[in-house]
Amino acid sequence: MTLDFSPVLESWRFLLGGLGLTLLLAASTVVCSLVLGGTVGLARCYGPAWLRAPLVFYIDSMRAVPVLVVLVWTYFALPIVTGAVLPPFWAALAALSAHIGAYVAEIVRAGVSSIRPGQTRAALALGMSRAQAVRDVVLPQAIVRMLPAFGSIISIAIKDTAIATVIAVPEYMNRSQTLAGESFHPIEVFLTAMAVYFIILFPVTRAVDMIYVRLAHLGRS
Amino acid sequence: MSRNDTAAVVLTYRDVRKQFGDFVALAGVSMEVHKTEVVCLIGPSGSGKSTLLRCTNGLEIIDGGEILLDGCALPRDPRSMRAVRQRMGMVFQNFELFPHKTALANVASGPLTVMRLPRREAQDRAAALLEKVGLADKAASYPANLSGGQQQRVAIARALAMQPEVMLFDEPTSALDPETIGEVLSVMKALAEEGMTMLVVTHEMTFARRVADHVVVFERGAIIEQGPPKQIFDAPLVGRTREFLSHLGWAG
Amino acid sequence: MRFDWSVVWANAGALAGGTELTVLLAAVTMALAIPGGILLALMRLSGSRLLAGTSAGFTELFRNLPLILVIYAAYYILPITVGVAFSPFATGLIALCLNVSAYNGETFRAGIASIRRGQSEAALALGMSRWQAMREVVLPQAVQRVLPVLASTWVSLFKDTSLVSVIAVGELAYTAMRIRSQTFRVLELLTAMAAIYWALGYPQAKLVDWMNRRFGVSE
Repeated sequence: MTLDFSPVLESWRFLLGGLGLTLLLAASTVVCSLVLGGTVGLARCYGPAWLRAPLVFYIDSMRAVPVLVVLVWTYFALPIVTGAVLPPFWAALAALSAHIGAYVAEIVRAGVSSIRPGQTRAALALGMSRAQAVRDVVLPQAIVRMLPAFGSIISIAIKDTAIATVIAVPEYMNRSQTLAGESFHPIEVFLTAMAVYFIILFPVTRAVDMIYVRLAHLGRS
Repeated sequence: MSRNDTAAVVLTYRDVRKQFGDFVALAGVSMEVHKTEVVCLIGPSGSGKSTLLRCTNGLEIIDGGEILLDGCALPRDPRSMRAVRQRMGMVFQNFELFPHKTALANVASGPLTVMRLPRREAQDRAAALLEKVGLADKAASYPANLSGGQQQRVAIARALAMQPEVMLFDEPTSALDPETIGEVLSVMKALAEEGMTMLVVTHEMTFARRVADHVVVFERGAIIEQGPPKQIFDAPLVGRTREFLSHLGWAG
Repeated sequence: MRFDWSVVWANAGALAGGTELTVLLAAVTMALAIPGGILLALMRLSGSRLLAGTSAGFTELFRNLPLILVIYAAYYILPITVGVAFSPFATGLIALCLNVSAYNGETFRAGIASIRRGQSEAALALGMSRWQAMREVVLPQAVQRVLPVLASTWVSLFKDTSLVSVIAVGELAYTAMRIRSQTFRVLELLTAMAAIYWALGYPQAKLVDWMNRRFGVSE
């Protein structure tokens, strides 16, 4: 079996454009899911009781349904319901952020509840308000514990952008498929894709592993 | 009790050395253990007593010198070491019972897996040994439901199930509540009276004084004094021994 | 805009068939990926640098590739390299197994490493070989300890089976989207698809939560 990478090399600009979109989508997803998930997670822990049930429903539903399904539904079905059509990139951003946001919310909940209640009590005993106690005592400690998990969100986001190909977002996976079809050299194209994704993801997972090790001792009370 | 020099030598240590990185755990240790003897190793923490024990059954490999079992040097390769280990029993400070097996299954582990005895025979042997250490009624209990003293007695039974020539005890009572230390020491005393050859690392000076035939005092990886209990505890020859014992509050 | 939900009931049989295939795919994958993961973990913990390196390399590779890419790559690369024309189902199965085995390998490695050294020492002291110590003492405890993690992995796997729809494996996602293309009832079918996944996935996620509470080891 001889491999001919020339179609890949000739279309490097095409592929690079896809890669740029992958990274853009991933970064945007990370930011949006952190904001969304952080809000939901905190609202679940400290918000009014009536809010808890719908938020838990949202979180658990996203854990139950595959990313692919959320993506497809957001792009194809949501416009039918709302009448507003979302371009592929924005549909993907919304769907991925909603899906990953649920995981972030869970991370926040787990992080916050891992802080001993005594810490909050001590803060309140000093005369702090609940909000101050959360902001100054609980969250700083909790965030340290959540960092490794947040790190893995980056990795998950990058991998999930590849699924956006099914709703025709022209990110790297999608561009690879297009090129594979046009060039009749799918093996070389996908081998290249594997190399590209690995090169992007490997440092991220390594960095997360290192953060885990560094912060492990801080995570124990 | 005094040392019977004419009894056969079971274990010989000749200038045994062991290092962990820069730390010298054993700096040339030489001693002998005779058949049916109870030898107690005492000394401050980190003085090498446990290391010597672990070198004896190959859990650690020595860096220099030699250890002889019945006159034959301990092998270095894992396969032959396995055969040697089957002739020695070891009891650990934190019992190390297998939590996913009942007391009976723990005791039967060796005969079943290593000696490949038929299940019936292994279980009968295990039941008899549990009876011997006073825990026949706990055969079906899991370690989580046993007290520390009970677990250690099961651990002793487990080691005995292999019918070893020598029993090695690595601080068997250090992890026990004071109330349960007695029950374990009784089992060990009974074992000694039956004539088992025992090498015991311990901080229980009263036990050593009463049961040991020979006491070896360690400090910083070397033997500073050895002799009968009467000598070590009542009239030590070396000043450091006296200091060590007085630090433990040993009033004789 | 009129919605015609009857199209869902009309195709209930096909959707049920797709669901069956989803479950089958997940079950077979896990059945293969658990021994696969144990094998990878044992290789990693063996003294041999070759085995440990291969295992580490394999794990790192599949942890750092999007699954959808592995599926496409398997689809195009396997037939040429292995010389056999695999069915889409088999291709999807292989891709899923490779992916999940890598994660299970890490899970079991951590699980085995979490068993106190004293346990294997006690086993060795009885005269067991390293393999006997692993089989009788360490692995049984490690498996028990990693059950909650394996359950989480199962839930993820169940969802990931939807990705093999891209190579036309007739599981739930593919079936639902095929019916959508045929009937043009987009909202109805996509919502039905989401609802079925939800109905299956929600209890599974709750079960994992329960397992974590019941069996989880708190750090």
